[in-house]
Amino acid sequence: MTYMLIASAAVGGILLFLLATATANSPIFSEYYPLLLWLNAAVALALLGLVIYQLVRLARQRRAKVFGSLLTFRVLVMFALVGIVPGLLVYTVSLQFLARSIESWFDVRVEKALDGGLNLGRAALDVMLSDLVLKAQVMALDLSDVPPAQQPVALSRLREQLGTENAVLMTSGGTVLASTSTPTDRLAPGVPESALRQAHLNRGYGAVEPLGEKGLVLRVIVPLNTLALVDEARFLQLTHEVPQSIADYGESVQTVYRAYRELQLSREGLKTIYILTLTLTLLLALFSAIALAFLLSRRLSRPLAILAEGTQAVARGDFSRRAPVTSRDELGILTQSFNSMTEQLGEARNTAQRNQAQLEMANAYLESILANLSAGVMVFDSGFALRIANAGAARILREDLGPLDRVPLSQWRKLEAFAGMLQAQFAMHPAAAWQVQFELLQRVAVLLVRGSLLPGASGGGYVVVFDDITQLISAQRAAAWGEVARRLAHEIKNPLTPIQLSAERLQAKLSRKLDTDDATALHRATETIVAQVTALKGMVDDFRDYARTPIPRLEGLDLNRLVADVLSLYEQSGTLVRARLQPDLPSVRGDPDQLRQVIHNLLRNSQDALAGTSNPRIEVETAAGPGTPGGQAWLKIVDNGCGFSSEIIERAFEPYVTTKPKGSGLGLAIVKKIIDEHQGTISIENRRPRGAAVLIALPLAA
Amino acid sequence: MTRSLRCLLLCATLFLGASAVRADPIEVLGVGVEPIDEGYVVHADFWFELSPRLEEALANGVSLNFMVEFELVRPRWYWFDETAAAEKLQVKLSYLPLSQQYTVASGPVQQSFTSLAEALRVLGRIRSWPVMGRDRISPGQSYVGAIRMRLDTSQLPKAVQVMAMTTRDWTLVSDWRRFRFVAPEKESR
Repeated sequence: MTYMLIASAAVGGILLFLLATATANSPIFSEYYPLLLWLNAAVALALLGLVIYQLVRLARQRRAKVFGSLLTFRVLVMFALVGIVPGLLVYTVSLQFLARSIESWFDVRVEKALDGGLNLGRAALDVMLSDLVLKAQVMALDLSDVPPAQQPVALSRLREQLGTENAVLMTSGGTVLASTSTPTDRLAPGVPESALRQAHLNRGYGAVEPLGEKGLVLRVIVPLNTLALVDEARFLQLTHEVPQSIADYGESVQTVYRAYRELQLSREGLKTIYILTLTLTLLLALFSAIALAFLLSRRLSRPLAILAEGTQAVARGDFSRRAPVTSRDELGILTQSFNSMTEQLGEARNTAQRNQAQLEMANAYLESILANLSAGVMVFDSGFALRIANAGAARILREDLGPLDRVPLSQWRKLEAFAGMLQAQFAMHPAAAWQVQFELLQRVAVLLVRGSLLPGASGGGYVVVFDDITQLISAQRAAAWGEVARRLAHEIKNPLTPIQLSAERLQAKLSRKLDTDDATALHRATETIVAQVTALKGMVDDFRDYARTPIPRLEGLDLNRLVADVLSLYEQSGTLVRARLQPDLPSVRGDPDQLRQVIHNLLRNSQDALAGTSNPRIEVETAAGPGTPGGQAWLKIVDNGCGFSSEIIERAFEPYVTTKPKGSGLGLAIVKKIIDEHQGTISIENRRPRGAAVLIALPLAA
Repeated sequence: MTRSLRCLLLCATLFLGASAVRADPIEVLGVGVEPIDEGYVVHADFWFELSPRLEEALANGVSLNFMVEFELVRPRWYWFDETAAAEKLQVKLSYLPLSQQYTVASGPVQQSFTSLAEALRVLGRIRSWPVMGRDRISPGQSYVGAIRMRLDTSQLPKAVQVMAMTTRDWTLVSDWRRFRFVAPEKESR
C-alpha cells in the first residue's frame, strides 16, 4: 500500500510537472499534450481508487470494531480537512483568477489596434500595388504599339523609365519572351501558373505575394492588347519587391495579429487547459494527501493498537507479550513504560507465586506433620470455632470432624461432652495451659487432653492436644497387677502349706476321737480347707506365672508346625477345630514354649466361649502379610461363641477381666504380655452374627 | 484500481474512435506509383473540404498541417509483412492576413494562392513524391501499397488540441487506400 502510494504520487508528480510545462506557453510536449492529460487523469483516478479502497477498508474495520480504527478515522478526517480546505480554497481562487486573467488578454481596443495595424499594412501594400498596376498598364499600352519584334528592347526601356524592378514579357502559355531587371544579377522571378491563369481569366492580376521567409513581392500581370496578329496572347508581368522595412513591419504586425487571433479562437480551449491542469493538480494533491493521511493515521494508531493488544494480554494474565518499541516519540516512551510495567507485573506475580508455593509447601509440611502425629490436635480461633483438626484427632475421637469446621464449640451437635469439657477448662484457665484426663463415653477410652492459648500475635486462639492413653493406662495397670501378683504369690503362698498341713493333721488326729457325725463334719471341713488351699495355690501359681513370665528366647520358628502340634491335642475334645494354614509360610521369630501357651490359652478361651453353642466351631488360620520391615505372619483364631461384651472388649487384655464364671482372668493378659514381648500385635473383635476373632501378627525371622 | 484505469482507457478509445468515424473524410481520388531513374515517385489526388470550424481557424492564423502517409508492404504468409517503404509527407496550409494569401508549403517549396479553393486543390494534388529508392523493392514481386491523408492535430496549438479532444470538427482524415503494386522487371526501364 505504501509503495503503491509512493509510486502513484511520484508518477503523478512527474506527469503533473510535464503537464504544467506543456501548459505553459512552450512548444515542448505540445504533440503529446492529450496523452499527458489522459495519463494525469489516469493517475488521479488510480489515486482516487486507492483512497476509496482505503475508505472501504477502514469502514469495514470500523464495522468489525477493530481497535484503533476510530482513531485512524478521526486523524484521517483531520488530515483530510487540513488538506482539502486550503486546497479547495486555492483552487477556487485560482479558477476565478484564471478566468479573469484569460479574459483580460482579450481587449476590444487591442483587437482594434491590431486590426488597424493590419489594415494599415494592407493599405500601404495596396497603394504600392495599384501604383505598379498603373505602371504595368502604361507599359502594356506602350508595348502594344511596338511591333512584337521590338518589344524586348522597348520593355527594357520602359522598365527603366517607369522604375520597376523586374519586367517579364511572356506568352499566355508561360513562355518568357523577354525579361529585364534592375539589379541585373537578380534572377527574374518565375511566373506562377495560377497567377497567369487568373490574369488570363480576369484580364489582369495583381497581388502581394510572400517571398521567402519574410519578404513580400508585388506581382502584377496584365495582357498586351496587340494589334499585330500574333499566334498567342502576350502578357506583361511586373514584379517589385516590397521594401524590407515595410515588409518587416508588416510581417511583425501579421505575426502578432495571427497569434492574437489564434489565442482568441482557442480562448475556451486555453481555459479548459488551465482548468484541467489545475483540477488535475488539485485532485492529485488531494488524493495523495488523503492517501498519505491514511498512512500517517495508521502509523499513529498502530502503536495504540499494539498497546491495546498488550493490555488485553495483561488482562488475560499473559505477561510475556512485549509491545515492540518502534518510535522515539511519546508513544514510544508510553510503549516502553508499558513494557516495563508488564515486566514488573510479571516479576511481581512470579514472586508472589514463588512465595505462595513456599507457603503452601510449609503448610503442607506442617499438615503432614500434624496428620502423621498420633496425637490429636485441634486449633480454635478466639471465638472457639474449630479451625484445624488433624487426622489424629478424628482417629482418636472416631468422628468425622469435617462438618465441625468453623463451628464454635458451643454449637457442636456431636461430641457435646468433649466440647463442654474444653469450654469448661478454657473458662477455668483463661490464661494458662491446662491438662486433664477425659473419659470418652462413646467408647471406653481415656484421653489426656492438654489445652493452651495461642500467642496473640498470630491472631489468638486456642490449641488442644490430646492422646489416647487407654493403652498406657492398661499397661500401667498390667504392671501394677504384675507387682501385686508377685507380692501375693510371695505373701499368700507361704502360709498356705502350713494351713493345708494343719488341716490334714487335725483330721488325722481328731477323726478317731470323734463320733461318726463329728468325724464326717470334720472330714468335710478339712477337705474344704484343703481344696480351697489347693485352689488358692493354683491361683497364686497363676499370679506367679503372670508376674514371672520369663523373657522369651526368640528363634526362627515354623508357626504352622507349632499350630498343628497344639491342635493335635484338641482333636478329641469334641469341638470342631478347622485349620487353614498357608503353605510355605516363612518362619517367624518367637519362643516356641511361650507361643504354644498363647495358642493354648486362646483355644481354651474359645472352647469356654463355645459352651452352650449348638454348632461349635473354631477356625485357625495362618497367613503371610505385609507389615513392619521384614514382613509379618498372621495368626487368626475365630470362633462362633458368645463373643465379648462391649464393656469387656476394650479391657480384655487386662488381668482379672473375664466373662467366664470361673477363671483367673489372666489368660488373655498373659497372651498379651507374651505377644508384646515378641514385638507383635494382638487385637480382638466380635464377629457377626456371633463369635469373636483374635488376630495376632508376629514379625518374621530375619 | 486497474479496472477503473482499464475502463478509462476503453472509454477514451471508444470516444476517439467514434469521433474518427463520424468525421468528414478526405476522399482519395487516385494514386499511382511511377518508376523514375533514381527510384519511385508517387502521384496522388485527394479531395476534401474544410469544415467551417477549420476554415475559421485557418482564417484566424492557425496553420493546418496535413500528413500524407505512404506504405508499401510485401505480404508474407509465414511471417510479419515486410515493409518496403513507409514515408510521410507534411504539407502546411496557412493564411497570411496581410497579403490575404493562402500558402501551401511542403518542405522548402511554397506556393501562394488568393483563393482557398485553389489552395486546397493544390494541396490535394501530390505529384512526384519520391518515396523509395530502386533497391528497396525486388523486381517482379507483388506489393500492397497504402496511402492516406490526414490533418495532423498534434501539430495544432495545445489549446486547439484540447478543443479537438471534445469535438469532431477538427478531425479530417481519409481511409487508407490500398492498391496492388507489382514491381516492374529491370528491362522495363
